[in-house]
Formats: sequence, structure tokens, C-alpha cells
Amino acid sequence: MTLENFYEVIGGDYTGTKSRLLTDERILRFVTKFPADESFKNLEKALADNNVQEAFRAAHTLKGVAGNLGFNALFEISQEVTEILRGGSLEVSAHMPKLKQLYNLTVENIANL
Amino acid sequence: MTDNRKPPRQKILIVDDSEINRSILADMLGDEFEIIEASNGLEAVELINLYGRKLSLVLLDIIMPQMDGFEVLARMNERKWIQDIPVIIISSENTSQFIERAYELGATDYIQRPFDTNVVRRRSLNTIMLYGKQKELKGLIEDRVYRREHEQSLMINALSHILEFRNGESGNHITNVRKISEMLLNTLAKNNEKYKLPQSEISLIALASALHDVGKLAVDKDILNKPQKLTAKEQEAVRAHALRGAEIIKQLPYASDEPLIKHAYEICRWHHEHWDGSGYPDGLEGDKIPVSAQVVGLADAYDTLTNKRVYKEAVPHSKAVEMILNGECGVFNPDLIEAFKSVAGTLQTNLRLSSLEDL
Repeated sequence: MTLENFYEVIGGDYTGTKSRLLTDERILRFVTKFPADESFKNLEKALADNNVQEAFRAAHTLKGVAGNLGFNALFEISQEVTEILRGGSLEVSAHMPKLKQLYNLTVENIANL
Repeated sequence: MTDNRKPPRQKILIVDDSEINRSILADMLGDEFEIIEASNGLEAVELINLYGRKLSLVLLDIIMPQMDGFEVLARMNERKWIQDIPVIIISSENTSQFIERAYELGATDYIQRPFDTNVVRRRSLNTIMLYGKQKELKGLIEDRVYRREHEQSLMINALSHILEFRNGESGNHITNVRKISEMLLNTLAKNNEKYKLPQSEISLIALASALHDVGKLAVDKDILNKPQKLTAKEQEAVRAHALRGAEIIKQLPYASDEPLIKHAYEICRWHHEHWDGSGYPDGLEGDKIPVSAQVVGLADAYDTLTNKRVYKEAVPHSKAVEMILNGECGVFNPDLIEAFKSVAGTLQTNLRLSSLEDL
């Protein structure tokens, strides 16, 4: 799977990412680190613990990483979750299934790179 | 073979709770920097404490566990690190309130996510360069100011010595009067609301004090150097030095508005006035005598007492202090007497030290 295909499948922005990170080699190096990033796991755990502050920070970090890597779809959904949590509310159940689905899709396809 | 000539790489501290973000930034900055990483604010503060000014730049995320970026900035302010170590905030937060707060806490720049290689590189390099330049300039200016002051001080000492030679005064009279005046003014300013002079004003008065006896140039040298008791007429001629000095200063063809010249005028004219109005040339009393002239008057009295003149022997320090406190050298402002009491203990040591400094 090429990087371009990968970004298309996961709803990302290959062109924008390339213009910021400059080389495919660099993009690939950081994209393949993504599965090891723990912010999604931390977000799920904090939500299970009803810890809104931790959940906010984890969602915020996930949003930041997704943004840097140009995973736009994942970035947008984590941004929505971040903003709900920032307000102190744990009512994110409407968004979490979609976020989880996008996260899994991304990680699965990284394995094919 | 290792290359030892290369200068050590500049250090950049990257603070971000995400490992991916840190490594993207490190990669963007390239090999020319030594990258140090922290994953939260607490670690960052520890590392800043450890490396101090050896850090050329901090790239700082805001939302982090343990301690956030604002708190890191606050600590850097508390310990004054922020003056020497530039901080660039890197965050996806983009409300103006958020950005404003970061700037208020002393951040130099703000880079928004997602990271762009060129933006991160350029801004980091620019910030490092500006801070480096500033440090270099600060060093240059400090050197210059120091050299200027040193040369100025040498010149004043040389001119003072010429004046002392002509006036038959011993050794360090002018530099002593300057030092004593400065000590008295510092003490007055510290202990008494009424005399809250800024440091710059104190230095200026101390500097102007060097001219206090310039009017003696207009007094016959034979009278100044006469060992015997002066006749009434001769005494009058000596006393004229106060007004003559003031005239000389006033006739300076330039700079009459300068505070230094204004102080010199007051000092020349009124350093022999007394608090009770019994002094000369104008018989001013109390607060009508400018504080500059009061202070120099006391400093002059002490130094004249403790040094030999052709017409008198030197009096020991303790005796001189006693005479001044007893009013044997005229009545001084009680606030000034208080200040004199508190500097008397360290006066001799300080005068010895300052004469060594000027060598």
C-alpha cells in the first residue's frame, strides 16, 4: 500500500502532510509510530474511570498527534470529543464509536504500509 | 577520527506529552542541535534547572499531564529563567485568550499545530539567533559602561589631585568626600522617606561633590597654605571660595541645565552652611540648604578633621566622630546626624577599600 492510498482510505490529507513534513520517508517514519501512541488507550481508560480531566488531556493529545500526521478524519472527531470534555462533560458516547472505528481503521492500515 | 574543533551543539528542550510529537519536532530541527526531551511540565522544570542558560531554546506544549505549559512558564518567571532562555509555545489551542496568556507569561513566539517543517525550523533558528545577539550585545555594553566609568573615575581623580595639590589638601580628600557623601546619601535614602533619592541621583551628587572646593582656585595660594592662624581678612578671603566656586560653575558656557551642574552649583555655594543658619555665605537654615550641600558639608568636615593640614594636626577617627556629634563643627541636620552615626562604624574600612579600588 502506498502512502497516498493509505491517506485516502483513512480520510487523511496526504498532500497537506507532505507539504509540512516534506519527505515520504519522514511521513512513513512517524506514521508507523502511531500504533504505539497511548493517547487513545488513555482516553478510553479515563472515560471508564469517569476522570474528565485525564480524558480531556488524552483526547487533546490524540487530536494533536492526528493533526500533525494529517489524519484529518480522526483529528476532527477527536477535536469534537476534546471540546465536550474541556467543558467538564463526560457525555461523549455519541462520538466514541466513530472515533474508535476511525482509530482502528488507521492502525490496521498502518500495518499494510 | 573524531573532530574536536566543532563547537558544542546548541541544546533545545522539547516539552510535549506525545512521543510522536517530540520526535517529529526533533527531526524537523535536524542534527545541528542537541535535543533534550521532557514529557510533562515537571520534567521540563527539572531539566531547565539542570541545564539553565546552556539551553538555547525551549519548545513548549501547553496541555500536558502533571504540570501544564502555563505552569512551566510561571516557574520560569519566578526563577527569572525566562529572561535568558527563549520559549516557543507549540499548541493546537488557538483562541486569542490562550495565545495572549502565553505571551504575557513571557513566551517569545507561538507556533500552531499541525507542525510545518519550515515554520518550526525558521522560527526556532530566528529566536535562537536573536537571543544570542542580544546576549552578545549585553556583554559588549556592560564592558563599555565599565570601561567608561573606570576612565571617568581616573580622570576625576587626576583633576582632584591637581586641585588638592594647589589647595594644600592631603592625599585623597576629594575622593574621600565623594565616597562619604555617597554612603550618607544611600543611608538617608534607605532609612528616611523624606530623602528617597533614586540611585542615579545619588551617583550624580557624589560625582558633583568632587567640585566642592573648586572656588579655592580663586583664593591666594599663600593664604591657603599658611600654617599660622589667619587674620580676619584672610579668613574672609578663604570663605569667599564658596561663592567663587558657585560663580565658576555658573559661568560654565554649556550644560547649565544639566542636573550634575545644578548639584555642583548647590554644593559649591552651600557646603559651609549650617542647619541653624550660622554658616556662610548666605546663612541659609534648615531644609533651605539643599540636601546635596548638607551631605557634602558633613563629609568635608569629617575628612578635614581626620587629615593633617599645614595649619593643624590630624584627629583620630573616634575623636572626629565625637566632635561632629557634639556639634563642635557646626550644627547639622538631625536626620543627617542619624545617617552619619550609622555609617561611622564602617567609614574607615570603606575609605581604605575605595582608595585601593582606584589604584
